[in-house]
Amino acid sequence: MLMEQWLSGLIDPYYQQVLTLVGIYIIAALGLNLITGLCGQLTFGHAAFLSIGAYTAAILTRDYHLPFTAALLAGGLMAALWGVLIGLPVLRLTGDYLGIATLGFGEIVRVAFTNMKVTGGAIGLAGISRASNLVNVTLFVVLAIAAVVLLENSRFGRALKAIREDEIAAESMGINAMWYKVQAFGIGCFLAGISGGFYAHLMQYLNPNDFSFIKSFEILSFVVLGGLGSIPGAILGTAVLTVAPEFLRFMAKYRMMIYGLLLVVMMIFRPHGLLGGVDFRRLLRRRKSKSLALGG
Amino acid sequence: MRKKSIWLVLLGLLLVAFLAAGCGGGKAADKGAKEAEGDTIKIGFLGALTGNEASYGVETLKGMKMAAEELNKQGGILGKKVEIVEADHGSKLSEAASVVQKLISKDRVVAIVGDPTTGKTKLAGPICQQNKVVLISAGAVGPGVEEIGDYIFRNTLLDEVAAPAVAKYLVEELGWKKVAIVTSTNNDYSVGLTKIFEYALSKLNAQVVEKVSIQDGDQDFSAQVTRIKQAKPDGIIFTGYYTEGGLFMKEVRKQGLNIKMAGGDGLLSPVLWKLGGEAVEGTMVYAGFAADPANASPQAKEFIKKYQAANDNKLPDMFSAQGYDAVMLLAKAMKEANSTDPSKFKDVLAKTKDFPGVSGTLTFRIDRKPVKSPVYLLEVKNQEFVLKKAIPVEAPQS
Repeated sequence: MLMEQWLSGLIDPYYQQVLTLVGIYIIAALGLNLITGLCGQLTFGHAAFLSIGAYTAAILTRDYHLPFTAALLAGGLMAALWGVLIGLPVLRLTGDYLGIATLGFGEIVRVAFTNMKVTGGAIGLAGISRASNLVNVTLFVVLAIAAVVLLENSRFGRALKAIREDEIAAESMGINAMWYKVQAFGIGCFLAGISGGFYAHLMQYLNPNDFSFIKSFEILSFVVLGGLGSIPGAILGTAVLTVAPEFLRFMAKYRMMIYGLLLVVMMIFRPHGLLGGVDFRRLLRRRKSKSLALGG
Repeated sequence: MRKKSIWLVLLGLLLVAFLAAGCGGGKAADKGAKEAEGDTIKIGFLGALTGNEASYGVETLKGMKMAAEELNKQGGILGKKVEIVEADHGSKLSEAASVVQKLISKDRVVAIVGDPTTGKTKLAGPICQQNKVVLISAGAVGPGVEEIGDYIFRNTLLDEVAAPAVAKYLVEELGWKKVAIVTSTNNDYSVGLTKIFEYALSKLNAQVVEKVSIQDGDQDFSAQVTRIKQAKPDGIIFTGYYTEGGLFMKEVRKQGLNIKMAGGDGLLSPVLWKLGGEAVEGTMVYAGFAADPANASPQAKEFIKKYQAANDNKLPDMFSAQGYDAVMLLAKAMKEANSTDPSKFKDVLAKTKDFPGVSGTLTFRIDRKPVKSPVYLLEVKNQEFVLKKAIPVEAPQS
């Protein structure tokens, strides 16, 4: 409570709200980047896993009075569980077929939440406590970035990249492609679930319609615009596309038009995304060599 | 490599510029608001101007602006000018939360009118309650709004107020002693409305002779209509939406049944006769407002005239009327409380009794739920909604 007062003295609550939302979307985008960017598996159902995490965490804190951290974790695990369950049959598909299958799953989840009693149905779920704030979201974003950077540069990450580049070649090198894909899917969905948990406790109200395929595409556009497979890209893409609608507010009616134009122009001039092919290790290495040069 | 680093630097600069511009603007606005607090009262508009909920938001905002203009002509509220601060949330839940936060912390509004939907009102409610800003929704009719807290209001016609009044009219004036009720079981609104109607009918000693269930998305209602036919009711109460309503009446006429249907504002759409055609003639639907220049109250007549003058002779709808009323309600509460402090005028607002609005007379019950009179009962005549009867509702004893 004290921290929040101190924070609102420092940063306007409106900016806090937007920045917290950016952080929450970054977590989801990092998960999607792992699945689509690193492993090359196209999925249009990311919002569904967001909603699974959101509803799980919200119901646990609201009705069962679990502490926020525990509920958040449970939401992430629930999303991961469903990710693996769905991933096992669905990841046998490739390319557009996989995209359509995940799109279908996303709609099933939305309709299920609309018709369930415990989720409040079409009326939505209200009365969720406001437990997300800039501090705990930022903390988790840092954790998540560290985790995905480590993952990317591990044996696991290299295997995923091999699958993305050529699945048959990867298999012939002894990589169990199916197993790696399911794992990547599970981890990506875990991050989506965590993101959803934070989202629920920021919005304090959930409605199944908020998690339609439009949200899936929104997250996908964060990742694609930032540069598929690039972690700094996913972060930048999310930040730019989440802040832009607020930043463009002074243009009133033309706001969303400019937003669309921004997307088109960026894709024309940077077809591989803003930071396509840029990764953290390379960024750090360059800085190191630069500082060495300066020091010398 | 070099090219990449140039891009990186450029992007970094862009981001810094974004943040700097945002923060810089923020500080300026912050100061502006504090200084301006002397001579303007800011009322925020929360709603969609784009996206699939835009039609509600646009109309609400029109009504609000008309009210502000009128108030300012009369010298404003307590000698201060009224300013409507608008921000579009594009029908998106996550953006609505940011907009509410912006209205409160950056624009420093004393009250917010909106959102027209129940969902986003429930999202905005807790934020307003925590920040001690009054919220009036000019459109939410679903459950669980006033329960959020004592800063949260709405000036809409609730089904629990309208349905009993309509039931009374149907039973006592139209002589519906035996009624059939049709419920769409996968529609929360329909299930809830059926309960209200059943309770009202039981109190009026009318008999529910047949209860049939349908589902949203159904196309074939022959089995349900056959059952209704056998029960020989005087009329049908239909609690679902217009799509099924239109198709249902078509089946009723096809089976040679010559009784009328009545329902809630879920039926309020031209789609009703686009699908039902001749079969829905005489169907009755209630609504919170109907522009009826001939029989309107003086203030409503004035409102309709002004709205038509500004909008190519188009008649105002429920949202513009309720948006107008919401601002007027706030103005009256502030004047009576002699304060623009939300924590003070919210108590005066809660005691509003018989407020003569353009969409009807409004009283807040002890639990802050609105009771509005009259209920406008519309009838389909020549493929158009015309006012059949303005049914008065008794104000509650508070």
